[in-house]
Amino acid sequence: MSAPAPSTAHRTRTSTSHRLRVMGGIAVSILFLFPIYWMVLTSFKQQVDIFTTPPKFLFIPTLETYIEYMQRADITRRLVNTIIVAAGSGLLSIVVGAMAGYALARIRIRGAATFGLLILLSRGVPPIALAVPMFLVARKLGLTDKHITLILAYSTFLIPYVMWLMRSFFLSLPRELEESAMIDGCSRYGALFKIIIPISLPGLLSTLIFSMILAWEELLFALVLTNRHASTIPVAIAGIAGDTVNGANWGALTAVGTITVVPVVVFALLVQKWLITGLAEGATKG
Amino acid sequence: MSTVQIRDARKSYGSVEVLHGVSLDIEDGEFVALVGPSGCGKSTLLRMIAGLEDITGGDILIGDRVVNHIAPKDRDIAMVFQNYALYPHKNVRENMGFALRQRRIRKAEIEERVNNTAQILGLENLLDRKPRQLSGGQRQRVAMGRAIVRDPNVFLFDEPLSNLDAKLRVQMRSEIKELHQRLKTTTIYVTHDQIEAMTLADRVVVMNGGVVEQEGSPLDLYDNPASLFVAAFIGSPPMNFLEGDLVDGTNLVLADSTALPLPVGDPKGRSRVTVGIRPEHFTIGDSGWPATVSVVEPTGSETQITARLAGHIVRILIRGRTATKPGETIHLAIAPEYVHLFDAAPVPQLADLEDVA
Ligand SMILES: Nc1ncnc2c1ncn2[C@@H]1O[C@H](COP(=O)(O)OP(=O)(O)OP(=O)(O)O)[C@@H](O)[C@H]1O
Ligand SMILES: [Mg+2]
Repeated sequence: MSAPAPSTAHRTRTSTSHRLRVMGGIAVSILFLFPIYWMVLTSFKQQVDIFTTPPKFLFIPTLETYIEYMQRADITRRLVNTIIVAAGSGLLSIVVGAMAGYALARIRIRGAATFGLLILLSRGVPPIALAVPMFLVARKLGLTDKHITLILAYSTFLIPYVMWLMRSFFLSLPRELEESAMIDGCSRYGALFKIIIPISLPGLLSTLIFSMILAWEELLFALVLTNRHASTIPVAIAGIAGDTVNGANWGALTAVGTITVVPVVVFALLVQKWLITGLAEGATKG
Repeated sequence: MSTVQIRDARKSYGSVEVLHGVSLDIEDGEFVALVGPSGCGKSTLLRMIAGLEDITGGDILIGDRVVNHIAPKDRDIAMVFQNYALYPHKNVRENMGFALRQRRIRKAEIEERVNNTAQILGLENLLDRKPRQLSGGQRQRVAMGRAIVRDPNVFLFDEPLSNLDAKLRVQMRSEIKELHQRLKTTTIYVTHDQIEAMTLADRVVVMNGGVVEQEGSPLDLYDNPASLFVAAFIGSPPMNFLEGDLVDGTNLVLADSTALPLPVGDPKGRSRVTVGIRPEHFTIGDSGWPATVSVVEPTGSETQITARLAGHIVRILIRGRTATKPGETIHLAIAPEYVHLFDAAPVPQLADLEDVA
């Protein structure tokens, strides 16, 4: 790298601050990515290599743990369950939450703001306090250990989450867009679906992804509300980590952990090009 | 094309009434400008006509149909917003054709109408661009095109030019006028720029604080302002105002007791008045009110002179040029028929009248 052009002090300052920012970014990335890197690394180690001090970076990799766990029927079933539950609750929440968020952002309803705040505040209740009542309700309804049970349970916290994110997204769009569409021949719903939703796709998609990730990794409700049939991957991880008989099997833990993370990463990469923001650019005077 | 009638229209937000009963009859094909200072309720009234705001009281008729409870989409109106509100994910062609598609018009006809309109507005080469690839002026044109292509009963404009730079604004102003002369569609045009209103409209409606202050043809408002507010609002440079006592119909006695000869008003008695005189109605001569010149601003075709008259600043506009220099004393004469008399009241300040936008 060449030295910064000595022409102006200003230039030097910006390039220094630029470099500082890049270095900060790298530091933060390392902080977040290292544990994942370590997890993936460990999952390929043999039991003997896991606990060495100093930790080994070079070792003979093995797929032993993966082969063992991928062959276990419960792991694949759990993976499928997790996909069903995450996709189901994510989609349900995005539809309901986005429409609720739109209503809060745009429709003049008496007390809408208070109502929205109440829904948000309901999230202040610790989930653990809800788990047992929810279990009792689910049992009364004959809904224990079913996919729909978790989908509904997750929607209770995903819908408010989506609603608030999408509310502020819709607020950032000029109101005149819908008004223009309504004058051009749309109903309120027509304006929402023909103009606002297409413009909001990036926002909707990021929100959907975050919701699905939240559902994907949820443990508490999955633990309480499901048993064999509809149980999800995080429950398996908890089981491995809390195995009091054999002690924590770190190889298994990291391998199943990696299996859990990979679909999320693949999914995020697939939709990444839709995540660009700024689609609404050009709507107004500019 | 259609008439628009507004009968005692009222609008409240919560307990605050912002339109206090506005009535207006707009003829078929007429171009009406709503002007007034910021917050006077122009946009609110326009949006009520469009159906974007509920009507708290009164009736609005488009043609002979009361539209109070009719959805915007069924009013057959087109609106151009101040911020244009182009659909950002659609290209210019789709933006302009959107309303026609909603009405399930045949593809071929949509294509033809969009192309025709694009040609009128000089947008032929931009049809495949997205709004973000257009300049501010081009976006404005697309917004106009989107309205024109529909051939609606009524055009509604809400300050469509206020985001353009001065030169473009003047150009678009004459284009809008030309378009109206060609299409003859009933148009309601909101602006806070009185020049825009005066140059464009068949009829100007001056609003103030949620009521109609005065309506009339542009020159009628200019020549016969019914209130101090209209007098101060219409005209640029603005009318000069002098407050004082009119004594025996011969003299205007100012607060500092300076007596200025002014042969108007009742021949007997003394009344408190505000006198208004347009800058171009002063003539400079050998006799008249003595004033000291402070600034001379020639523009070539005319010259604006700022002078002090008994402590008051007055503006004088004369055709052509003058040899008058700052510091000189000039004498201002005024023909009685050009003197506007108002009941004494504080003159609305220009700062309140002109939007700071
Ligand atoms: N949604 C609303 N809630 C409450 N008051 C409002 C609302 N919209 C407008 N008002 C009030 O109504 C009055 C008229 O507003 P309006 O937008 O019609 O003014 P305007 O004449 O268009 O002004 P401008 O030239 O600034 O656009 C203002 O006092 C404004 O504060
Ligand atoms: Mg306005």
